Amino acid sequence: MVKVTIAQNILAANDTIAHEIQQNLSARAIRTLNIMSSPGAGKTTLLERTIARLRGRLSVGVIEGDVETSADAERIEAVGAQTVQINTRGACHLEAHMIRDALAQIELAGLDLLVIENIGNLVCPAAWNLGEDTRIVVVSTTEGDDKPAKYPQMFAASEVMVVNKLDLLPYVDYDLRKVKRQALAINPHLRIFELSCRTGEGLDAWCEWLITLIQGVHG
Amino acid sequence: MHELAIAQSIIEAIEAKAVECNATSVKGVRLKIGEASGVVTDSLSFCFEMLVSLNPVLAGAQLSIDDVPHRAYCRHCDKEFAITNFVAQCPICQEWSSEVISGTELQIIEMEIETS
Repeated sequence: MVKVTIAQNILAANDTIAHEIQQNLSARAIRTLNIMSSPGAGKTTLLERTIARLRGRLSVGVIEGDVETSADAERIEAVGAQTVQINTRGACHLEAHMIRDALAQIELAGLDLLVIENIGNLVCPAAWNLGEDTRIVVVSTTEGDDKPAKYPQMFAASEVMVVNKLDLLPYVDYDLRKVKRQALAINPHLRIFELSCRTGEGLDAWCEWLITLIQGVHG
Repeated sequence: MHELAIAQSIIEAIEAKAVECNATSVKGVRLKIGEASGVVTDSLSFCFEMLVSLNPVLAGAQLSIDDVPHRAYCRHCDKEFAITNFVAQCPICQEWSSEVISGTELQIIEMEIETS
């Protein structure tokens, strides 16, 4: 019997494509975000509000990931951003090859920011590199304040956490300090934004941070 | 999570390597799976056994898994510690300046083959 060394990551095929995507977008000075959350936390609404507020300041392209329907892509198109809808027809997370194929349908020239809205799922997307620069996990005040501890891999793998639906705090049992404490215990470097897409609270700080993120790319 | 798809990725990698090495039979595959990788090793083994049985070159290949603990290095006290529940706090000095050094691996280390 012969031992053959392989020494290969199991997800190497995905990582290779993700790396190519990252190189391609970096070369064009496009910053890429991967936004993840459970279904209904407010990813699409956050994107709608962000794109509307940054119109004229940033050129944004969006890749929408959903199991079915183009409902989210239609919403984003309505606020004036170039959008491609991926329907996975069953897959619960986006993979790099899907992003690569979607990018072929986007006019990248002139884009400052590419946002990938992942499938609503707090488990699987964390493990799949898409070529993004920054990973953002969105939680909301209606989901219970113990999600970081229950889904640690997602919070460990992200750079930013957005807490949405602040306007509903008076109506839910949600300990905001507990959520932040749990999330920071898993990831002390997590940058946290608290906002309400409905009232606009906190959106200014979020948008200004995005601007500085883009300016970082251009140096 | 996705143990069947992960097992399939392993199969594809070792099939390609087996062709490259002119293997007549793959007898064993060794993996390194981190405690914090999100993969359940029992499920992965089950899926692997089922998939190799479908390929004459791989049939009967034994899967062995090196489990890697989730560990971090504390920059403050210059010591390593075991991470529990993904909490990054050093249990020795209570500081929060650590970096993960192991536990997220998903790797194929080696395989054992016969070439005649």
